[in-house]
Amino acid sequence: MCIDASMALIETSSYTNKINNNSSNQEQREQQREETLDLTPILHVKDVYKSFDYKNNKNNRVSKIANYECISRKQQQQQLLSNSTSNLRTFTHDVLNGVDLRIREGEFVTIVGPSGCGKSTLLNIIAGLDRPDSGSLLIRGAAEDRNKASSTNRIMIFQESALFPWLNVQENVEFGLKIAKVHKDRRQQVVGKYIEMVGLSKFSESLVYQLSGGMKQRVAIARALAMEPEVLLMDEPFASLDVQTRDLIHDELVGIHKTTGKTILFVTHNINEAVLLGDRVIILSSVLKNIKKEFRIDIPRPRDPESPELYEIKKQILKEFESDLQIAKRK
Amino acid sequence: MICRLLRENDDDNDNSVAISSTTSLAAEKESTLRNDNSKKHRFDITDVANVALFLAVFVGLWQLVTLLEIWPKTLLPPPAQVAISISELITSNSLIIGIATTLWRLVAGFAISIAVGGVVGLAMVKFQGFGKTMSSFAVGLLTFPSIAWIPFAILLIGFNDLGILFVVVMASVFSVMISTYGAIRNVPPIYIRASKNMGAHGFALFRHVMIPAATPSLIGGMRQAWSFAWHALIGAEMLITTLSGLGYILAVGREFNDMSQIIAVMITIFAIGLLFDRAIFLRLEEKVRSRWGLNQHAE
Repeated sequence: MCIDASMALIETSSYTNKINNNSSNQEQREQQREETLDLTPILHVKDVYKSFDYKNNKNNRVSKIANYECISRKQQQQQLLSNSTSNLRTFTHDVLNGVDLRIREGEFVTIVGPSGCGKSTLLNIIAGLDRPDSGSLLIRGAAEDRNKASSTNRIMIFQESALFPWLNVQENVEFGLKIAKVHKDRRQQVVGKYIEMVGLSKFSESLVYQLSGGMKQRVAIARALAMEPEVLLMDEPFASLDVQTRDLIHDELVGIHKTTGKTILFVTHNINEAVLLGDRVIILSSVLKNIKKEFRIDIPRPRDPESPELYEIKKQILKEFESDLQIAKRK
Repeated sequence: MICRLLRENDDDNDNSVAISSTTSLAAEKESTLRNDNSKKHRFDITDVANVALFLAVFVGLWQLVTLLEIWPKTLLPPPAQVAISISELITSNSLIIGIATTLWRLVAGFAISIAVGGVVGLAMVKFQGFGKTMSSFAVGLLTFPSIAWIPFAILLIGFNDLGILFVVVMASVFSVMISTYGAIRNVPPIYIRASKNMGAHGFALFRHVMIPAATPSLIGGMRQAWSFAWHALIGAEMLITTLSGLGYILAVGREFNDMSQIIAVMITIFAIGLLFDRAIFLRLEEKVRSRWGLNQHAE
């Protein structure tokens, strides 16, 4: 299939994009996208700021005040060492500096950036596991209730296996439903469905330690899907897998995205992975502490990682990283 | 002293050499449990042979020492005389009653310790300030020798079961407290975050995540608390005279200069200690470890 990739460089939080395509399949996709353009995004990270106290526990207000009052020599040294984005007097440093991100329903968005650029923090904030210092998170245009203990419409898949070792595969996948007090028959139905989707029906009685790394992440995906969330959040889920396993699981994830139509937000430091999976690739900069650029990738999945179009995009992304590095050096 | 030595020897041995016939049964159970995954109900003949050999050498040495007549026979009786003493104690029912009384006290005291220690330990996790203060207080009392509680218990409560129970509880409750507190605080945060993300909070988070995640170290803590309780119980029974219990029989043996009765009771105490540890705590621990996949390196 000849693909004419329309790769539009899009300004942050603007949704105008060029439609430039020959294939009918692509046209259909574009049409669908057009329809959803005017709708409120399913997820809107609105002007989020977040800083961490890098000496003590994060978010520890008491220690922040304590540090503020004693200006030690160490602090002076820190002033010399740190760059301008650090909030010196209070020993904190910014991680996210006014990030604004809109994600539409059914979109597969990958966020890529060097380590320490706040990718995971952003994902934690979206998951409700962390709170922004300022700014807000809008779900379908409505602000998230801060007092609510947690929200199960955005489920996170972690880098390391967060499966519970005291439960077997089936019980792990069942966990969230059990917490939500779903009826047992319904639970088994859902659990069976998603374990089958990730191809682990044979292993539903297995214990966690008996599974390979790839299988563990498959179970984690099934566990997340069983909650039937609107958004799947994936925090470098395949970082510790070997290349072959990762390739396989990429294909599976693409298949799952196609069949379930879930919105997926996928954080990675791997550029290959980012361009292979995402409808949009968002570049987070560790200098700006914000979104630097985003690329739209209009190549239907599954994509060929060797294709020249992807290569071109990868090159541009690398260039962004390099310029980041140079700015950091100059400072 | 001999018991101690034996126990250490026993722990050193990988194949879990047991001493008496009752405990060798426990060892067999344990070895079948250990091989649960691959070979079910495998009867390990080398384990039994090791136990028999160990017993034979020990009894032989004992016999040899008595034959040398360094001490008079009344002070260090030969194995046969101790065996007679054991059978006498059994036929007169005093050993059985003693064991029953002692075990009842042990179970009751330990149950109270787990209930109180568990609740306070959980409260220490819940209320951080209280946890910090209470943990240093509890560590102080954890290292406090349990025998030092006895005069206090005698004057406050008197020479009765409650006095003994008090000492047993005091000896083990702080261990339960500290280990509950530590075990729950050391639950990997990733489990908490993942389960919070899936909607677990409050009691459900506690019941379905924190407690099961803490179970391996909780069992370790219980094991330690149990051994503290056991130590304290025998001591308390010897000093708080209530006319029953193994400690009391031991004390009576001393009163009448009956060394063979003393040794007979010592062997009983040793056997009960080993049996409980192997049959209950080790089994529980093995079960949890195999479920978590923690005993992979042992195989």
